[in-house]
Amino acid sequence: MQAATMGRRSGSLRAERRWALWTAYVSLIIACVIFLMPPVYMLITSLKTNAEMANLQGNPWIVLNPTLEHYRAIVENPLFLTFFWNSIKVTVVTVILSMVISVLAAFALARMRFWGSQWLATGVFLTYLVPDTLLFIPLYQIVGGLGLLNNTWGLVLVYPTLTVPFCTWIMIGYFASIPKELDEAALIDGASWPQMLIKIFIPVALPGIIAATIFAFTVSWAAFVYPTAFITTPDQMPLTIGVVSTLVRGDTFAWGQIMAGALLAALPPVIVYAFLMDYYIAGLTAGATKG
Amino acid sequence: MSKLEVTRRAALGAGVATVGTLSAPAVFGQPTTTIRCGFWDHWVPAGNDVLRRLCAQWGERNRANINVDFITSVGNQNLLTIAAQAQSRSGHDILSFPTWEPAAHQRMLVNVDDVMGRLTRKYGPVTPAAEYLGKPGGNWVAIPAVSGTQMKPACVRFDLMQQHAGIDIRAMWPAENRAGPGADTWNWDTFARAAEACNRAGVPFGLPMGSFTDAVDWLGALFASYGANVMDERGNITVRNNANLRAAVDMAVRISRQLPNDVWAWDDASNNRALISGRSALIFNPPSAWVSARRDNPAVGAQCWTVPVPSGPQGRFVGYLPYFWGIWNFSRVQGPAKELLEFLSDREQADAQTSTSAGYDIPPFLSMNDFNVWSTEGPPVGTVYNYPLRAHHNARTSVAFAPAPANLAVQAYNQALNTKLIARIVQANESVDQAFGWLERELNTIRRGG
Amino acid sequence: MADSMSAAIPAVAQPRSSSLQKLARRRSSIAFLMTLPLICVILGLVVYPAGYAIYLSMLSRRMDEFVGLTQYDILIENDTFWLVVFQSCFFAVTAVIAKAAIGFWLAHMLHHIPTKGQRKWRGMLLVPWVIPPALSTLGWWWMYDPTYSSLNWILAIFAVPAVPWLGEPWWARVSVIIVNVWYGAPFFMIMYLAALKSVPEQLYEAAAIDGASSWQRLRYITLPMMQNIISITVLFSLIVTFANYDIVRVLTNGGPRDLTHLFATYAFQVGILSGNIPRGAAVSLFMLPLLAIFAFFILRGVNQRNKEMM
Repeated sequence: MQAATMGRRSGSLRAERRWALWTAYVSLIIACVIFLMPPVYMLITSLKTNAEMANLQGNPWIVLNPTLEHYRAIVENPLFLTFFWNSIKVTVVTVILSMVISVLAAFALARMRFWGSQWLATGVFLTYLVPDTLLFIPLYQIVGGLGLLNNTWGLVLVYPTLTVPFCTWIMIGYFASIPKELDEAALIDGASWPQMLIKIFIPVALPGIIAATIFAFTVSWAAFVYPTAFITTPDQMPLTIGVVSTLVRGDTFAWGQIMAGALLAALPPVIVYAFLMDYYIAGLTAGATKG
Repeated sequence: MSKLEVTRRAALGAGVATVGTLSAPAVFGQPTTTIRCGFWDHWVPAGNDVLRRLCAQWGERNRANINVDFITSVGNQNLLTIAAQAQSRSGHDILSFPTWEPAAHQRMLVNVDDVMGRLTRKYGPVTPAAEYLGKPGGNWVAIPAVSGTQMKPACVRFDLMQQHAGIDIRAMWPAENRAGPGADTWNWDTFARAAEACNRAGVPFGLPMGSFTDAVDWLGALFASYGANVMDERGNITVRNNANLRAAVDMAVRISRQLPNDVWAWDDASNNRALISGRSALIFNPPSAWVSARRDNPAVGAQCWTVPVPSGPQGRFVGYLPYFWGIWNFSRVQGPAKELLEFLSDREQADAQTSTSAGYDIPPFLSMNDFNVWSTEGPPVGTVYNYPLRAHHNARTSVAFAPAPANLAVQAYNQALNTKLIARIVQANESVDQAFGWLERELNTIRRGG
Repeated sequence: MADSMSAAIPAVAQPRSSSLQKLARRRSSIAFLMTLPLICVILGLVVYPAGYAIYLSMLSRRMDEFVGLTQYDILIENDTFWLVVFQSCFFAVTAVIAKAAIGFWLAHMLHHIPTKGQRKWRGMLLVPWVIPPALSTLGWWWMYDPTYSSLNWILAIFAVPAVPWLGEPWWARVSVIIVNVWYGAPFFMIMYLAALKSVPEQLYEAAAIDGASSWQRLRYITLPMMQNIISITVLFSLIVTFANYDIVRVLTNGGPRDLTHLFATYAFQVGILSGNIPRGAAVSLFMLPLLAIFAFFILRGVNQRNKEMM
């Protein structure tokens, strides 16, 4: 639509450029306002007192008497700390597991031909396409059979389905892009395959590893289907489900706390993102552009 | 290698859990006894603390550890927990079961006839509805709980009711053991006219019509007061040619046309917010809404008065959402668990629970409907006097989808078939017969899969 | 990918000395060991559960009896289930189209502004994608709240009557889609931006010399160059959106009247909440045929592109 208007206005090139720039900035500003509205409103809500929230007279978008009481309540709530700890535990273990599994497998698949390797590569891709919501019911039975329902270790067991296929996929792409001359030279020097992986591939593909790690981290931090299905008591809950199901307290006004809790829970991925944005984006795009 | 690690760690986790259970011997009185309880996460904030305190008190006296978790019913988390624990045969020893769940899981619950026998000898009979739900097939499978058990009478903004509908609700239902003038006119017809008047005035009644318990329970009470059943005791569908059902549906449709246009998605909290914000003249709710209003919007809280549900041709019924304390049959501490529950059900402890929850909790024994808290809570003092059943109400507790067999009723209840029926007529403009056709098909599906 | 790999291998496999042959023999066993964990994950957590799901879906409610296809039969006759099928498709298609359109537009706009400022804008615009959706949906839920809706407050400034966001079925459907688009559009934007940057600048310069209008440049250079990435992202997103769970679960729980249920939330409702595991398994297995179609097209696209790259 914008392009069409621009076509009609084909005056001098300069005017067209300025017009394009102007549209670009206006669109970006509008998009930013809309995109940032929910998190900003969550922040506003988390700073309001209960009485101010219950008051329908004023403008809901401004805070008259900012308070940190909800944050204090949340941070002092032992449950919330348990959620945080559970999230960290599950996420860290899952990330380490997934990275080990996927780096090893990706190296083998990218560099070592063996019987069925092509099938396996396609298989990895197919498993990536299987959404978690397709299999959570049989997994519920399986995890239940192992006695791991309502147990964070049950989550650690199933989370690799979310992370491993994609991480492997990214890593295959990164490893494949490393020039073959490097490993030929290493082989002639008498290096073994594991040495080659550790001394050459991992250092060279470090950006890819960081990107995959960030991916695994954000995915396990944000996982929702498995914990809602498998975890039932607050002491085993990770943050996402803990905030959603435990802080939403029946019919009393806990919105300030809910929003404070949600914002705190969203903080780790946001921090990672703020500091490692380029890796984050590289990981995002690698899946489809390099795959 | 890393895969091995998963299983090892997983096994380790499982191992810890098993060791925990095994090391708790069934011998009562050993200091190592651990009872794991999953109670309902109370909506009146102090409600959890009192249970935790009582459990600690009993544990100290009996040298036992009591682990207490609170499981919310928001988003049906409690149903999820019940399903998961029944599925995996592990979890808590004692769990809170709402309405139909004890009967639905009766094969996995420990018989508590002995405890109930002792309690009824002390305190007399329990509310019939609680007996009906907790004693399927003649045996008690769970103990009607104090904490969490609630009724859903009307919480009225008496100022708005007077102003717009001309009804002095406080005179009609004073905080005394007598009905005031006009109490006999407090029926669904009067109610519907008041709903119209308040809607015109911009303060519509806040009656949820979604799929959560507040919605299903108030509509269930209305249906009960018309004698409208959709399924009989043997599971036969009684939708067709049912004049009572049609009359109840007509009234429900009439009322729901006077509600805000988004009640169809309201959850158990939406009606409370409608009241607390001052936008609504009446909701059906236990006192938690009033308690929140007293804290967050005192001006509104001071204008609330709880009164019985309007009556219908077959009498007056009030929506009843009981919780039951059940003991799983896979528990290894069944004896101590029974003792603990008996302790929590005693009059003194029941009074403590009801009093700290601002009168929210309804004890199962009729003899306990005289706790002091209901007369003294305020402002305005006496606002929850008519919350428990009083003799002059001539009311009975109602359970939606009774008298259908529990394993079928539980599904109809959890799927909120009654509110969806009304929604089809009012919101989707289906004819009553079309909607009945749909209801019959849904009930048939439940029967086939049952 | 598999293709580009097979091209890489012969170069390694050619060397002639006998020690290298021995190495090659050992190589396949090392490789197998290295992929073993991955194979375990795929077999144990995907293939086995998938087969198990099929078995489960043929049991009775109490799972003590084999009933064949009865569960599917019951579902096919059930009105609610067909609403779920409709809603899932409607939700996925409209949300993905909206996400792709908004993402494309924003990527284009970002590409237009000076490179120096792009990072900052990109950083802000990607925020919705970074926050775990279950948590940001809570914020939306509060904005949609019937009594306290801050969105309705904004609308009231423009004298628009209050919208029953989650109460009226069509509004509820729209509300759910809005949240999904809000969450997913940044992803499309980033993907398209990466693709835009890979279009050689010379093509545009050549076109400018030929006097092509910007519409023509978009139509004849940008779109063809981005065709692959657009189709792959759209298909990917279709799968993820189709299988969405968290937004509906937090926002509407399927209501009003089960009209916003998607396959995943309905399967959850039936299978886990109501304790009818076999029927829940049957519901989610109904997703398979549609997912298989999407997967087929994606795989074809990926293979084609790899062939082009060779």
